[in-house]
Amino acid sequence: MSKMKLHFFTVADYEEEEIWLRNHHKNGLRFVKFIPPCFFLFEPCTPEDVIYRLDYKNGKQSSDYVQIFSDYGWEYLDSFGGWFYFRKPASEIQIESDGEIFSDAASKADMIRHIIQTRMLPLFLIFLSCVLPNWFTSFSGDLGATRTFFTILSSSLLVLYLYLLIHCGRKLKKRKDEYELK
Amino acid sequence: MEERIRRIYVPMTETGFYILFCLQTPQHGYGIGQQVKQMTGNAVSISPGTMYGTLAKMEKDGLIAFYAEEDKRKLYQITPLGREILSLEVRRIERLYKNSKGEYLHE
Repeated sequence: MSKMKLHFFTVADYEEEEIWLRNHHKNGLRFVKFIPPCFFLFEPCTPEDVIYRLDYKNGKQSSDYVQIFSDYGWEYLDSFGGWFYFRKPASEIQIESDGEIFSDAASKADMIRHIIQTRMLPLFLIFLSCVLPNWFTSFSGDLGATRTFFTILSSSLLVLYLYLLIHCGRKLKKRKDEYELK
Repeated sequence: MEERIRRIYVPMTETGFYILFCLQTPQHGYGIGQQVKQMTGNAVSISPGTMYGTLAKMEKDGLIAFYAEEDKRKLYQITPLGREILSLEVRRIERLYKNSKGEYLHE
């Protein structure tokens, strides 16, 4: 019977997500699809060591995008919000690069730049134009239960956004710097 | 040639050089990857994400162009601009090679 699991990964945690999916497959649960906002559908399978990889491509892709990956032995699984899920059995990997979808540091850094431009920047703009002004307004007006509720709500949102921006921003920048130095 | 293109592609990554070099005859991504492995005795291998990304970027910048579609795979070929870049790179690498052997260039 298929199994649904809840797990939240930020846009900076794709490598953790790859390991998480690989561990599930090792334990006899293979990934089927991602169900927004943060659910993963699995189905039972023979336990096997299978490498999972995520690529990020926001926008329209060339018609042979998936074909190139499958030529290289990567099974395409699902895509959501710009993320593409691929997997390949570890037994098919002869040299280290067979298990990677990027073979040079420049293309790894390109993917991070793409995440920053299309995910982090919009998040930051929403933060500046909505979350922050809302938080300030929540302190004005008459005192009362409604105002308190609004203050708590907008403060939680502020903390969540700050966490996401700082956590993802720092992590992505650190990785990008590492790749660009190579 | 635009200054921007020259700045991006000269000097070029090893991946970029081999892709452009192979596209002197029309090829698809996986085919290029195989050819590069053969040419270099498996020393250089280009993964699919890197292959796809580099082809897309080079097509956008006009170094290569779509040639034909074959079994759902796109074949690309080098353009005159691509050839210009490639010959700049070849000259640069020849210079590097000669200099590495202690030879000086007299022009």
